[in-house]
Amino acid sequence: MASLTHPFHTSTTFNLPLRTKTRTHSRFLIAIKASKSTNPPLPGRKLRAAVIGGGPAGSSAAEALAAGGVETFLFERSPPSTAKPCGGAIPLCMLSEFDIPSPLIDRHVTRMRIFSPSNLCVDFGKTLRPDEFIAMLRREVLDSFLRSRAESRGANLVSALVTDLEVPTTPAAPYVVHYTANNSRRSLAVDVVIGADGANSRVAKSIHAGSYSCAIAFQERIKLPDEKMEYYENLAEMYVGSDVSPDFYAWVFPKCDHVAVGTGTVCAKQDIKLFQRAIRERVKPKINGGKVIKVEAHPIPEHPRPIRVRGRVALVGDAAGYVTKCAGEGIYFAAKSGRMCGEAIVNASEGGERMINEGDLKREYLRVWDAKYISTFRFMDLLQRVFYGSNASREALVELCGDEYVQRMTFESYLYKRLADGDRWQDAKMVWNTVGSLMRCNIIGR
Amino acid sequence: MSISMALFSPPTHPPSLSPSISPKTHLTVKPHLSLRPPKTPFFLLSTTRSSADNGAGTSASAATALEPEAGQKVAEPPQPVVEKDASSAGANGSAGAAEAVEVKVVSKFEDPRWVEGTWDLKQFEKDGKPDWDAVIDAEAKRRKWLEGKPESSSNDDPIVFDTSIIPWWAWTKRFHLPEAELLNGRAAMIGFFMAYLVDSLTGVGLVDQMGNFFCKTLLFVAVVGVLVIRKNEDIENLKKLLEETTFYDKQWQATWQDETPGGSKNQ
Repeated sequence: MASLTHPFHTSTTFNLPLRTKTRTHSRFLIAIKASKSTNPPLPGRKLRAAVIGGGPAGSSAAEALAAGGVETFLFERSPPSTAKPCGGAIPLCMLSEFDIPSPLIDRHVTRMRIFSPSNLCVDFGKTLRPDEFIAMLRREVLDSFLRSRAESRGANLVSALVTDLEVPTTPAAPYVVHYTANNSRRSLAVDVVIGADGANSRVAKSIHAGSYSCAIAFQERIKLPDEKMEYYENLAEMYVGSDVSPDFYAWVFPKCDHVAVGTGTVCAKQDIKLFQRAIRERVKPKINGGKVIKVEAHPIPEHPRPIRVRGRVALVGDAAGYVTKCAGEGIYFAAKSGRMCGEAIVNASEGGERMINEGDLKREYLRVWDAKYISTFRFMDLLQRVFYGSNASREALVELCGDEYVQRMTFESYLYKRLADGDRWQDAKMVWNTVGSLMRCNIIGR
Repeated sequence: MSISMALFSPPTHPPSLSPSISPKTHLTVKPHLSLRPPKTPFFLLSTTRSSADNGAGTSASAATALEPEAGQKVAEPPQPVVEKDASSAGANGSAGAAEAVEVKVVSKFEDPRWVEGTWDLKQFEKDGKPDWDAVIDAEAKRRKWLEGKPESSSNDDPIVFDTSIIPWWAWTKRFHLPEAELLNGRAAMIGFFMAYLVDSLTGVGLVDQMGNFFCKTLLFVAVVGVLVIRKNEDIENLKKLLEETTFYDKQWQATWQDETPGGSKNQ
């Protein structure tokens, strides 16, 4: 029987002694795969997998693994790591793909404003349909929901701090996860490890995955008086300018009952406080009288690690570096990569019955992931290079954002993670306007 | 940690930056803007923070390290930004008072022709028609001003100026034409000289050169070269641009570079 290798199809395993090579033609381009797996079947037990890190990536991976029949151990610090100071915005497709219940959503953002260095303001969101919005959640709420869902699907949640991952010296030996739980050092032997432990990934260090450059995101949570909070009821703001960030943007995002005002940078990390003060200045009239209730910072990876799969260890989410440039979006890609990696392992091991190897991980997870998303990431990188370089190009960006076609395309690709159906003529006009805006703003900026 | 606290306190003593640890509950109004307080306090703060980060890779410690510092941060008002006072309740009362007294120290961009967030074109008229050159100049000056002194965005006072109201021929006349003249001149000189050289070397006249494929290619290369390489730095810039364009892609493909299968597991 053919075992379909497309990640969207759950694998069907039939324990027939004869396995024939079949070719499947379907709407999706499925690679011709010899379904005769060369991996040895596991003697009387299921494949054991350890997922290190219980954020969106880890929880999704653990859920996919456990649902597929693999014995899964999900490691998360206890108490769970402090909520990551991120924007907390997730696209619509994540709500549907990951069945996020609506009570979890704090706010429905339907308007966005972008401010250029000269405070030219553009209202984004004129093209949103009534049922479209950007969901804002608190990370701690989302993360614990995903974790408990993974647990209910069969993953074993281990509240422990992972201290080390021992890489085996022989191909058949297991990976040993050393962890500290309840003040005692323990260890667990597993066959496969998924590293979902974020930007400072210990798993990545253990497999010598190489390092990557990180941006630092710095944020202050500010509680505003009620009448000022009303302004941010369903509005998020973005500020660009070299005063608030030399290579990124600053933001004001509404959360459950306060706003998060923050900024980020890659190249000028030591000046982050200056940038933070600058964004406070830029927003001053709107946040006057607010109280800072929390200050937080976190690294955001800028590009994928040099090695994302090595041996039977795969990295997902922030640990792998799946954060888009320009927007810095990472939650959806973390959850999606976790799920894809989990499904890849389930497929390759045929429901946890067989051992897997590095080739399986690369073929079923990495290749599929790269094929699906590399153009998205490349495009965001292009946008960042073109528009975040100087104040002049930032002005051009904001000018361009006033165009309705641009807004519609942007939201389509953000909310549904698919290349929107564009009108060729409008595309050409957009490119022409881009060039024109860039030229004009560069001339004025000289 | 305490040393960084001490150094982190604000330089509100105008004459000297003597460190003082007393939390300031009311803010002194500073008549002049200091946009660049000394960098060392921030540097120290960031090193203490980064050393906390390098501990067992926990952001928890980083966040908690920041919390006590946030409390100390209250004491630092390099500019009278009032809403910073968080932890001390008493500060809120006096902060409110300070805000009322606060002098507008951020000098806004002012120009008689800049009215309600846009340029008043009627004031730019010359011979009954708007003088677009002056509009471009004015906007350039405004943006340059804002670069040095960024302003707060405000809902009551939005900026609505759109550069696309300036007609295309104004841009062309001012910026494109002089450079076009320069480039055309270069192309003409190169063209004449190369045509003469080829003629003297091969005896092929100008008209016959145009019929030859190789000569046409040379002509194309010369035109593109003149367009693309305008200054000495352009050669370096182009090389860097090419490298940059492919760099991100290389980072993505790095994981696919072949490693020796035996060595990879044993690292």
